[in-house]
Amino acid sequence: MEEKRTSKQCGGVLPFFIGVLASLIVGWWVFPQVIYSQKTQPIDFSHKVHVEGEGMDCESCHMFMEDGSFAGLPSNEQCAECHEDILGESKAEEVYVTEYLQKGVEVPWLVYQYQPDNVYFSHMAHQGFECTDCHPDVGNSDTLPTYYENRISGYSKQTMKMWQCERCHAEVGTSNACYVCHK
Amino acid sequence: MGIDRRTFIQLVTGGVVGSLFTPVIWKSLDDAAIWSQNWSWIPRLKYGAITEQASLSKFGASPCAEIVKSVGGSPYLTKGNEENEMSKGGVDPISASGPQLMYSPSRIDGPMKKVGEGKYESISWEDAEKLLSEKLAAVKGQKGKLAIVSGDSTGTASEVLSGFATEMGSSDCYLMPGEEQGATVALNSMGGNGQIGYDLDNADFILFVGADAMDSWGPVVRNQRVYSESRPTGGDITTKYLYAGAFLNNTAAASDKWIPVAPGTGSIFCLGLAYHMLKAGASASVSDFADFKTLVMSRFTPDKVEKAIGVKGADMAAIAKQLTAASAPVVVAGSEFGMGAGAADVIAASALNMLLGRVNKEGGMKILPNLPKAVDAAADRSELAAKDFAGYLAGVASGKVGTPDVMMVYEANPVYAMPQTEAMASALAKVPFFVSFSTFMDETASTADLIMPNPTNYERFDDAQTPYGIGAAMLSACAPVAEPLYNSKATVDVILGVASGLGIDLGYESAETVFQAKAEKAGADWDSLVEGAAYVSDSTESGTIKFAASVLSKAVVMPKGGEVALAPYSKLLNGSSTTAIPPLNVALVSKFELKGKDLLVQVNAKTAKKLGKSEGAMVKLSGAGGECTARIHINEGVMNDVIAAPLGFGHTAWDVYSSGKGDNISKILTVGTESGTGLSVWTSSFVSIA
Repeated sequence: MEEKRTSKQCGGVLPFFIGVLASLIVGWWVFPQVIYSQKTQPIDFSHKVHVEGEGMDCESCHMFMEDGSFAGLPSNEQCAECHEDILGESKAEEVYVTEYLQKGVEVPWLVYQYQPDNVYFSHMAHQGFECTDCHPDVGNSDTLPTYYENRISGYSKQTMKMWQCERCHAEVGTSNACYVCHK
Repeated sequence: MGIDRRTFIQLVTGGVVGSLFTPVIWKSLDDAAIWSQNWSWIPRLKYGAITEQASLSKFGASPCAEIVKSVGGSPYLTKGNEENEMSKGGVDPISASGPQLMYSPSRIDGPMKKVGEGKYESISWEDAEKLLSEKLAAVKGQKGKLAIVSGDSTGTASEVLSGFATEMGSSDCYLMPGEEQGATVALNSMGGNGQIGYDLDNADFILFVGADAMDSWGPVVRNQRVYSESRPTGGDITTKYLYAGAFLNNTAAASDKWIPVAPGTGSIFCLGLAYHMLKAGASASVSDFADFKTLVMSRFTPDKVEKAIGVKGADMAAIAKQLTAASAPVVVAGSEFGMGAGAADVIAASALNMLLGRVNKEGGMKILPNLPKAVDAAADRSELAAKDFAGYLAGVASGKVGTPDVMMVYEANPVYAMPQTEAMASALAKVPFFVSFSTFMDETASTADLIMPNPTNYERFDDAQTPYGIGAAMLSACAPVAEPLYNSKATVDVILGVASGLGIDLGYESAETVFQAKAEKAGADWDSLVEGAAYVSDSTESGTIKFAASVLSKAVVMPKGGEVALAPYSKLLNGSSTTAIPPLNVALVSKFELKGKDLLVQVNAKTAKKLGKSEGAMVKLSGAGGECTARIHINEGVMNDVIAAPLGFGHTAWDVYSSGKGDNISKILTVGTESGTGLSVWTSSFVSIA
């Protein structure tokens, strides 16, 4: 009898639902924000300056090598073709030239779609798709998107998960056999 | 409303239930699983631009011209350089693992000095060079106090070492034993200069006597490519191959016919063939032809040859007839395991080539010029090649030769690879200051007082001139394709620096300038060489060579018989005298050569029965200098009274992939002296089996 009274005093099953609600709020609103740390790229790179200002296209820096492999991000060697010395008045360019190029240090760009080593991804096999089907559309942007790094896994928030790969493969009729992506 | 225990439990339960409908648990588990892929000890791939650069590998027995593929500046794969004549686009099994060897756990990561038995302390390069300089300064100008041995028979680095030894007042600069030693002494005995080569590309009938061309003799990879070009799958065979040797090795297996001949009896086989040619009227306009003919017709008659080596006179006559009938025949003699054959075999084979009129002819035996020296003070290449390191070490071991105060070992592993290994190693142990310039922690480095690690060929400048056996004088070179992975320093740079400190001017300030000068003096374009091309000279030495009948009469001795002869063989897959089996090759070791950690030696059923041994029996093999343990494997590809045994096993240093596997057959090889030349020989080793 004593226990019944106590239960009524505390609002019946209300605490249970408060717990559920609190969990849902934490799980769906707080957790997604807390699990990612926000990082900015080492240099405030402007694609717009290069595309609109210099008339470059995506392939000028993100090209396929002769053997079909994808060069990914440009190295200092490529950037130095134009930026051997500081060309303009941009602070970002000055940082790049003085802190990286002149010191022989490659820029540690944060790659939004970095895949684990156990995934063999061929850009050549996917060149029928638009770059922006997978990558953020930064071609005409003056700033780079914020990089969200998962505090547990260490990967970018934008890194494509396996189920996404599998779904697309299934949709376009490509095999989902293990060896297609895992060598 | 207060919060009591029940309320709290309800709240928590609600929280837990609620969390099941959020991503918290599921995503955290997923992320934790992904996190576990990236623990610090899990190797990570390197990403970056994929590039291809020409290089040169010296991991194997003969240099290989390669194309090295790198990602982000780190080599990861190698393939043959089709544009380079030195190896014709092939890669040997050790060089194929070259990029992996670059990251081998047995790489030495910096200079070290010995501080106790098996204990080393890392020191700076400055301290290491200072220590070496002090020791060298103490012996400068004193004959017999400094000895140097190089395992690089083709590189100009050996010229630098030789020049340094000369300037230090030492005449004890040696190359590790190899085929070129006996061949050089043979050529000298025949009155020739330069280096013997064989134009296998243009021959239509090749008789290999002992020489295991597919695994250990000469430019192995190139030999394989020449073979495959002349015998394309489904195409016409343009060259016939015969092999005379004790064991059905890869050369015998690839040949049209295998003639079983006991180890160390190649010269008897050749002179037996010469008998039939001379009888058929063959001759040569050479000063000692008459002496040679008298020697052969009296001592190498068919019945004597059959008694000595077991090949019937009719078979010998048939082979001689085939050789004579061929339009471009050539006879090549050598050791069945790449060293220790002496000069008689090559002289006897050369005699056949002379009787066939095949000296300095297309598809025949060539007398090639040595390329000009880059270091003036260095010994001539032929002079260096002819020096007998095994004889020198045996002298040190017995006390007949004074022990040097300082010995420097470059790209060589004498503690493991010399015949009568234990006696030779004890001679090396007597040296008060022993320096290793090894890339890897091999058996020799493991005993050194000072280790000064040399980078791999992928991290340094290097070159290779006219590997022994190749048919034309040539030069290849390489520039670094990667930054040094460890705190290593090119030995040539170390020697040049130390020499300068001792007041010795070798004429150069850096390794790169030495190799460039070599190219320039040879008439080659340096830039083309480092881009992967080989400089090839079509010149040969003028003048005639003679039969060296007086040397043959002393050097060729009929075997006594009645003993079990040892036929060691060397397979590149199992490593070379300088490089232990690479990790990636371990899985490819034959089950007939290594079972667990036991070495397998091979005899035929008849010999096994005679010895009272059966398949798998554990035996102890005893030679003059040591013992080995192994299991018996019955193989009808071994001739009677012969025991075939693979080299390359029984390492005690290196890494987990090669150490403690099998036994080192070099221990039971018996070093003798070849009459007539005084060379140390060990192809005629006999063993007792218990």
